[in-house]
Amino acid sequence: MGGLEGLAHGFSIAITAANLLWAFVGCLLGTAVGVLPGVGPAVTIALLLPLTTQLEPTSALIMFCGVYYGAMYGGSTTSILLNTPGESASIATSLEGNAMAKRGRAGPALATAAIGSFVAGTIATILVTLVAPPIAEWGLSFGPAEKFSLIVLAFMTISAVLGQSALRGFASLFFGLFLGLIGTDAMSGQIRFAMGIQELYDGIDVVVVAVGLFAIGETLFVASHDRRAVETVERIKGSLWMSAEDFKRSVGPWLRGTAIGFPFGTMPAGGAEIPTFLSYATEKRLNKGPDKFGEGAIEGVAGPEAANNASVTAALIPLLTLGLPTSATAAIILTGFQQYGIQPGPLLFTTQADLVWALIASLYIGNVMLLVLNLPMAGVWARLLTIPRPMLYAGIVVFATISAYGMRNSWFDLFLLAFFGLVGYAMKRWDIPVAPCLVAMILGPRADTELRRALQISQSDFSVFFTRPISAALLAIALALVVVPAAMRWRASRRARANAPTA
Amino acid sequence: MASRERNGAEIAISAAVVALALFVFEQLSSIPADGGYSAVGPRFAPMIVGVGLLAIGLLLLRQALTGGWRDMAPAPDEPLHGPSFAWIAGGLALQMAIIGVVGFTVASTLLFAAVARGFGSRRPLHDAIVGAIVAIAVFLFFTRVLGLSLPSSPIRII
Repeated sequence: MGGLEGLAHGFSIAITAANLLWAFVGCLLGTAVGVLPGVGPAVTIALLLPLTTQLEPTSALIMFCGVYYGAMYGGSTTSILLNTPGESASIATSLEGNAMAKRGRAGPALATAAIGSFVAGTIATILVTLVAPPIAEWGLSFGPAEKFSLIVLAFMTISAVLGQSALRGFASLFFGLFLGLIGTDAMSGQIRFAMGIQELYDGIDVVVVAVGLFAIGETLFVASHDRRAVETVERIKGSLWMSAEDFKRSVGPWLRGTAIGFPFGTMPAGGAEIPTFLSYATEKRLNKGPDKFGEGAIEGVAGPEAANNASVTAALIPLLTLGLPTSATAAIILTGFQQYGIQPGPLLFTTQADLVWALIASLYIGNVMLLVLNLPMAGVWARLLTIPRPMLYAGIVVFATISAYGMRNSWFDLFLLAFFGLVGYAMKRWDIPVAPCLVAMILGPRADTELRRALQISQSDFSVFFTRPISAALLAIALALVVVPAAMRWRASRRARANAPTA
Repeated sequence: MASRERNGAEIAISAAVVALALFVFEQLSSIPADGGYSAVGPRFAPMIVGVGLLAIGLLLLRQALTGGWRDMAPAPDEPLHGPSFAWIAGGLALQMAIIGVVGFTVASTLLFAAVARGFGSRRPLHDAIVGAIVAIAVFLFFTRVLGLSLPSSPIRII
């Protein structure tokens, strides 16, 4: 099915009352968790995974995706009205956005964020519609060797590109790979690393790990390191609408932000943070407007907000066409597919065409819903920010523990949740990125399987990975991603040490 | 001082990574090597993971011992506030211990109050009441909407 034909078919499915309702629920929840600090889209989707037993796949996945990009809309409200951002992809927005709100220009800031998100989300969805089918077709030629090499490439980018230190990225990656090994091996049926504990025979549930690392870890961190933070919620004064001049100043940043965010979303670089900062830096450099950066320039809100929405939408391309999650949230959505026994990848566009196209159609619909939900109702969402922190975080923890307990009614899952909460705290405190761990845990077993399949076909000849051109190219890129920055950093640090011996 | 305390934690985490690698190697022997038709069996991936963890752990350890981990984000503005951490960790442990006996509603209410206390709340009765309402709402959400089975409290609130 070609792009437009498929899309038309997708709309006919997405427009049914049930699917519209679930898209709306997803957008609503996504906006709420985007606004609330302490809980993000990855945790929310993980908590909602049990819904897969109740809903048909199309409805559930439409809702999960709604949460994913809805959080990007909601995040801007917090970063503009509060001095702490609601989630990491909104940090760049808060720099100018909060300054604008302090000057009484919260309305235009919220408007340019919402409209920019809509513009970027819609352009990115059009690109997904056009680009995804040919990539899926290309992916059909992949054998086990290519699939293995592709996963290796994803591992390298997500650990080496994200965060301050590639070494700590790899520590997180290998911890995740280890977690993925626990339990019954899909190929041989052997049980690995269960230490005789029956609860571990089926492996560790990804929900427990994700919710522990993110929600419990974050709660422990905020409670014990962020006690004195005084949070002042800025009031929304005056009109929510932008003046003609605001509009004119925003158009350029919206489009540039989209252009920066989209390619980043397709790469396994761990999410939408990096492009938002790139967009912010670009707008700062180009700025000729009447407001200086740092004093509340609207360009600094418009650009990053477009960038994060373009990025999360673009992340659906590798997820749907190659089965490759590029961020922690995308990895959880992948788990959602797997709950239905559906493996995202090139075949998805032929075997599950209805599902894929309904999902893509729902992105167009969801962006319209989010624009309506966010723009006129910004004041309502701002009220969420007045929930006292003790109540908010206590609620998050109760929610998290119950989702873990509800799976098997076993205290062992509560133990695992608390354990991963402590690990999540330590990772946040000592600057170890979490995304590589989750992606490795989910993709690791697949890499193991593809590796062994490839070797079965090649009759144990390891050279298949290097003699098949696509596989060799993917591995070469993976190697370069690790070696080149490390070599550059090593040279830079040597030079820095030579110049300034204080470090 | 502050920097010494930080290095202590870095050494501990690095050592934990090395220990995990050793655990992986120790477990290897208990995984049957039977690979069926493939050259590599269920032992191969664990071996790679073990080697990787060992190398990473040793590199981290070396950094920790020679001036600390490189390129760290700035430490949080406030040092660890022990009591807050303990209230939340303790609340989690308590819930784990009693949920099988007193049921979900009571255990979660206590957890809610403990976490709120960890965030500086000084109104335990208020927190417990709000906690009970939240616990019941979450219970209804999970059992009615998500379709999970939760043990109801022996004290029949619902």
